[in-house]
Amino acid sequence: MAASELAQYVATGLLVGGVYALMSIGLALIFGVMRVVNFAQGDFMMLGMYLTYYYAVALHVDPLLGALLTLPPFFVLGLLVHRAFLVRVTGGGDPNREMDAQLILTLGLSLVITNATTMILSPMPRGINVPYASRAFAVGPLLLNQARAYAFLMALLLAAAVYVLLTRTDLGRALRAAADDPEAAGYQGIDVRRMHGMAFGIGIALVAAAGGLLATYHPIEPTVAVNFIVLMFVAVVLGGLGSIPGAFVGGIVIGLVQSLTLLLLPLQLQNVGVFVTFLLVLYVRPQGLFGRRARTV
Amino acid sequence: MRPVSRPVALLLAFLLIAPMAVVPTVAVAADDVKIALVVPLSGRWARQGQLKKMGAEMAIEEINSQGGIKALGGAKIVLREADAGDSVEKAVSAAQRVLTREKISAGIGSWLSSLTLGVTEVAERLQVPWLTLSYADNITERGFKYTFQTSPVSSLQAEQALDLVTEIGKKNNRPLKKAALVGDNTAATVFFFKPLREKLLAAKGIELVADEVWTPPLADATSIVQKLRATQPDIVFYGATNFPDSVQVLQKVKEFNVKTIIQGVGAWLVTPEYVKTIGKETMDGIQTVVAAHPLKGQEELVKKFKQRTGEPFMTQDPLCTYAHVWLIKEAAEQAKSADPKAIRDALAKIDLTSGPAATTLYPGRIRFDERGRRVGAIPLIVQWQDGEPFTVVPANVATRPVASYK
Repeated sequence: MAASELAQYVATGLLVGGVYALMSIGLALIFGVMRVVNFAQGDFMMLGMYLTYYYAVALHVDPLLGALLTLPPFFVLGLLVHRAFLVRVTGGGDPNREMDAQLILTLGLSLVITNATTMILSPMPRGINVPYASRAFAVGPLLLNQARAYAFLMALLLAAAVYVLLTRTDLGRALRAAADDPEAAGYQGIDVRRMHGMAFGIGIALVAAAGGLLATYHPIEPTVAVNFIVLMFVAVVLGGLGSIPGAFVGGIVIGLVQSLTLLLLPLQLQNVGVFVTFLLVLYVRPQGLFGRRARTV
Repeated sequence: MRPVSRPVALLLAFLLIAPMAVVPTVAVAADDVKIALVVPLSGRWARQGQLKKMGAEMAIEEINSQGGIKALGGAKIVLREADAGDSVEKAVSAAQRVLTREKISAGIGSWLSSLTLGVTEVAERLQVPWLTLSYADNITERGFKYTFQTSPVSSLQAEQALDLVTEIGKKNNRPLKKAALVGDNTAATVFFFKPLREKLLAAKGIELVADEVWTPPLADATSIVQKLRATQPDIVFYGATNFPDSVQVLQKVKEFNVKTIIQGVGAWLVTPEYVKTIGKETMDGIQTVVAAHPLKGQEELVKKFKQRTGEPFMTQDPLCTYAHVWLIKEAAEQAKSADPKAIRDALAKIDLTSGPAATTLYPGRIRFDERGRRVGAIPLIVQWQDGEPFTVVPANVATRPVASYK
């Protein structure tokens, strides 16, 4: 095996992993703050892809910019979905209330969104035909797909922005307090229910933006979520449930493992490597790579 | 439990009764002939199901407006569709539902060979004749009496397609020496690749230099296309039935600047969305082997289809269901009955050389052998030219000559 070939596999894995990482951060944030397992996360990603598509088709907005423009509307959508549905099953911050219903709710949301999209927008796959999707940057012997490289950089920027938001702002501190100990946070005057809404809004906005970035090189169809939701969950659990840096690293690891698996195994077993790594990590570190026993973001 | 208050109770009662008032009484007369269409209408193959439905609806409209089934006193044909989804389990339960709810005279479906294998088992058990365009060999290798396969089977397609492309290669002074197999592991692709891998390529003296098979969805196409770049095959036999997978591979082929003939195996490679997603420059020159495609002389049919549906062109999927509905109509005429068993017997004996069904399915004659395979079915080669797929082989029915683009 030539070193350049190995390097190509690593580079490809990193680029693929960057977008997985961004997708997973939103899921981790929602889980970390709200303890909600959001099965509909992939469907919000799919809606983000469609919005980016319509930005591109109707307004001629480049999808890389379009992905950023999905953030505000999806933040609002997240707030609304939280206000309308999730509040009823998350107990509005009361940790003692029963939370089983949330699984059924998010699963139901996922089914409704997929099927409503199929009905309204038709199952016809769509794609944004941007020239950089099939062009590559040549770095020495390496070929880096331009769309994926741009998407990777944007994912890094957005992830960094989330990190700054969580560690350097009052909102971030309040979010983390609500995650760490909702009861104590309440005593400190933090509106835990509002923090849940914020976490859900930000989480949905991030995954929609990840969808927008994905749309630069991946076709858009109502069922696109199923291809990614399992990977998102694996990334989040791998990194430590609810940990933002953990989810980011988890996403990158999945991209790398998917790519490097092909050096050892046939293409048909591409995802086997991911799940074997997943099991190994859980065996050695049940709390995940970055997980603490206590909940945190 | 708290007792329900009066307004809530009234509301519930209203919600229960209202739909009965809104839904019209079933407008189906007793002697209508019902055809089941079990195709994916949701999930990753929903688009193909939708295309098949368009073809069926067009044929039904034509038949009914021309006076229905004459032997049955002008009985009209009605379609009962069911969503096969994207798994064998869903397809089987859809078939079960639609075939047991009311009397169905014949069925059509389910596009993906893996789904068809499951659905035809249900049809066999319930004794409803089933027409399919699916390619996989084993669909008609199980001794079933009610399954009729109108397309040439995968292994035969592989053999005939290889003959056709080696011929084209020789004519263009580009003899084929090295080949690659790239595709997913759905049934039709598996049966197409198997004979190529095991004997056909070797028999033509063609070396197999890459063999890349995956389970959809494909995470990334880089490694596949890297292998193609390293081994430089003259031709790639290509079977990526899942659209996003296929787009990834084709984009990478362009990105890595791999020069080779791409020979698809199936009609999934000729849907309009390819042009919209990756552009006609990438598609032009790519060819695929299909069971049906508009032929010379079918211009009127294609024009009518385009007007009806707004689709930019017509492909195998609507064409085949269009032919299947007409074929069921002919069988019902000959059987003089809407009974599924009588229609099965008529299909088993049929020898059709004229009418819309026969002219749509090349080479223009429909009869089935004892396994239910259409005798003499030959695949066509379709090539993308200027952003549209044209039949290029066989030459006598081609709508354009073969072009060598790359």
